[in-house]
Amino acid sequence: MAFVPAGSLRFHVQRLPATAGAAAPDRPVVVFLHGLVVDNLSSFYCPLAVPVARAGHEAVLYDLRGHGRTERPATGYDSRTAVRDLVSLLGALGLGHRRVHLVGNSYGGTLALHAALARPDLVAGLTLLEPPLGGAWVENMVDTLSAAALSLEDSPVPAELLTLRLRKAANLTSIADELLNRTSLIDDIAASRTLTPADFARLDCPALIICGEHSELVPGGRELARHAPRATIEILPGLGHDVLKESSGVLRETVLAHLETTAAGATRGARVPRTGALVR
Amino acid sequence: MATTTDVLAEITGMLVEILGDEFLLAEEVTMSTSFNEDLALESIEFVALAELLHERYGSGVDLMGFLAEKDMDAILAMSVGELVAHISLITHASLARTSPTTKATPTAATTAAATASAPTAG
Repeated sequence: MAFVPAGSLRFHVQRLPATAGAAAPDRPVVVFLHGLVVDNLSSFYCPLAVPVARAGHEAVLYDLRGHGRTERPATGYDSRTAVRDLVSLLGALGLGHRRVHLVGNSYGGTLALHAALARPDLVAGLTLLEPPLGGAWVENMVDTLSAAALSLEDSPVPAELLTLRLRKAANLTSIADELLNRTSLIDDIAASRTLTPADFARLDCPALIICGEHSELVPGGRELARHAPRATIEILPGLGHDVLKESSGVLRETVLAHLETTAAGATRGARVPRTGALVR
Repeated sequence: MATTTDVLAEITGMLVEILGDEFLLAEEVTMSTSFNEDLALESIEFVALAELLHERYGSGVDLMGFLAEKDMDAILAMSVGELVAHISLITHASLARTSPTTKATPTAATTAAATASAPTAG
């Protein structure tokens, strides 16, 4: 089931079942949201998704709208549509009736936070790797993406270069070119509303923010941790923005420990009404 | 060995399916073909291959266990033969565990292991 129609789009999805024996039915499914433009679901596969599935949580990975092998419409790259895409997809996967744990990398982390704020009924917990939040991130991101868009426009990949060996570079280039020069992605990011401390304070699920020590996104992560009542931040020493690529070992252990804690909390939470019913 | 040949043929078919036959012909894939050096396989394409392998061989080959010890760079640095060897080995072991008295040919081993475990990857 690699391709799943949801809403108006066909999404590329990979589901990794929880390893038999370790699976527990009341554990939230873990859904992964990747970063912008040159990213896709595969960057989670080895460092987190396989270990998460082997630790007993079902893992769901999908390529965001326009990314990887998901369809690439001309519009709809704002956070509101991204949340709608996620909700449609969970419904299409039969996961619409239970709360999921969202793991987001970079801009995928920002989208996961938007999802938890918009649909607290669907999100049991968050793990945010280097989410761009607050400050001037929108402006910086738009500058970076606009510069990339211009450079891609000047260097189209000639069709005759599309041999087996060059296909990899050509694919990446052409996806980035299409997203940046032929969709509303940059405009949608430019128009996005920066989340404020008042938004952070409304987040009521457990959230772990993970930042690289040298990343410029640390202040935004700290601000979220300060204002969201159940959020904590972990700073990984010696690393920059790409914690997913640079630190599979420490990152993996940190994320698995967080999932265990939140899954245990969710189970305890679920038992309270049952005990209450028995007492009554 | 028959199993190895069968598994190589199946993985080759999957690679052609993923990359498209305008880029890859089955004859180009051998045991020593490298995913990265020769095929320039993208990580998302390896994920697609893993899905097909899981559908074909089921959880019996413990592909997740095999991959858990590697990062994507290490996986893509492998040759097709290394993956074939893992799958051949595990399908044998899995048959040996489930029916110790059956004296099966390697081909039967592959088939039995594949049919014994239902595909679970979505």
